Amino acid sequence: MNDKPENRVDKIVAGLLRGRRLKLRGGDAEEKEAITAAARLAGMRQGPQRMHPAFRNRLARELEQAPREGWMTRRAALVAGLGLAAGAAGGYIGRAVETRPVEAAVRPIEPLNGRWIDVAALKDLTEGQGKRVTAGSVGAFVFRRGDAVTAVSSICSHLPCELWWDGRGEHLVCPCHPARFTSQGHSATSYDLPSLNPVHARVTAEGRVEVLGTE
Amino acid sequence: MTAQEQPGGPGEVVELPAAPRATDIALNELELVYAFIYARVGNRADAEDLTQQVALKAIPRLRQGAPASAIRGYLFATARSVLGGFWSTRLGLSEAELREDLALPVPTTPPSDEGVEIVQQILAQLSDNYRRVLELRFLHGYSLKEVAAEMHSTVGAIKVMQLRALRAAARLRPLE
Repeated sequence: MNDKPENRVDKIVAGLLRGRRLKLRGGDAEEKEAITAAARLAGMRQGPQRMHPAFRNRLARELEQAPREGWMTRRAALVAGLGLAAGAAGGYIGRAVETRPVEAAVRPIEPLNGRWIDVAALKDLTEGQGKRVTAGSVGAFVFRRGDAVTAVSSICSHLPCELWWDGRGEHLVCPCHPARFTSQGHSATSYDLPSLNPVHARVTAEGRVEVLGTE
Repeated sequence: MTAQEQPGGPGEVVELPAAPRATDIALNELELVYAFIYARVGNRADAEDLTQQVALKAIPRLRQGAPASAIRGYLFATARSVLGGFWSTRLGLSEAELREDLALPVPTTPPSDEGVEIVQQILAQLSDNYRRVLELRFLHGYSLKEVAAEMHSTVGAIKVMQLRALRAAARLRPLE
C-alpha cells in the first residue's frame, strides 16, 4: 500500500511540512516532478530563509580555518562535493560503484585490549542483510555469508553519523548526507568516499557471532 | 591618528570601521545561496549541507579577493551544480535527466519577503481543487484528514489529488 505513488509522495510532503530532511528512494524518481514541486512549495511557503546563527558561525569558522595554501584538503574536497562533480562528469549515478575509492587502504578497527563480544546467533542473521550490533564501544553492521560473517563499522566514513541498513536497497545509508555503502563497506554513490572500516567478526563452534570490540 | 583622538570624549576608545573581511563578504553572499537552496529543497538540514558544500568548494576563489559580484556568480554556479548532484543522488537519476530542473536563474538581489504570496501566485494557475488542496496543505499546514474534511472528500481521494496537483504545479514556470 505504501508503494502507491500517492502514499510515497504524501510521506515526503508530510516530512517536508515537519521540517525534516528529504528521504528518498530510488523508485521515487518516477515522481521527481511532484517531489521537487513539493520541496519548492515547502521551501517558499515561509518566505526566504536566513541561515541559522549556529550554522552561520560554523560556516564562518570553516571558511577561516580552511588551509591557506593550495586548494583543499581531501576531506574538504569530499565535503565540497568534488565527488559529486566527478559523478556528474561520469553522468550516471548507477555507475558510481565503479569509481575508485580515494583512500590508500582502510584499516580494520583494532581496539586496544580488544575483546570478542557475543552479539548474535548465526541462525538469527539473514543472508546478505545487515544487522546493527554493539560490541562495547564498537558499533558495527554484521553480514552473514553462508557460515561465515563479515562486519563493517556503523559510522559513516565521511560525516560521523550512525548509518542505517536499508534492507530494500541493500545498502548502508547515512542519515546526514546522501552517502550509501555496500555491505562490503564500499561507497555506492558518486561521492568518492573512503570505505567503511572493517570490523573483525567470527563465528564460534557453538554458532555464536562475535565481534572484536571493547569491554 | 589613534583611536583616542577620534571624537567621543577624552580617553574613550572609538572603534575604527574595519574593512570588510573576505569571510564576511562570503557569508553575506552565502546567505543568498542558502535562501536559494532552501527554496528548492524545502528543509533546513539539506539546505545547510548543500550551502556548506558550496562554501567549501568556493574557498579558493574567495581567497583571490574577487569582487562580490564575481563571487556571487561563482557561488550560484556552484550551487546549481551541487543541487544537481543532490537531486541526482537522492532520486538515482543522471543529471542529464534533471537538466530542465537545473536551469535555475541566478538571483541578483536578495529575495523578497513575500513567500506566501509567491506560492499563491503559483497556485492561482491551477484548477480550483488542485489549488485548494495545496493551499490547505502547504500554506495552512492542514493534515490530510483535515483537508479531506474541509473539501468533503476522503483521505485517499485527497492523497491522489495532492499528487496530481503537485505534478501540475511542477509544470508551472514560476516554480523554476
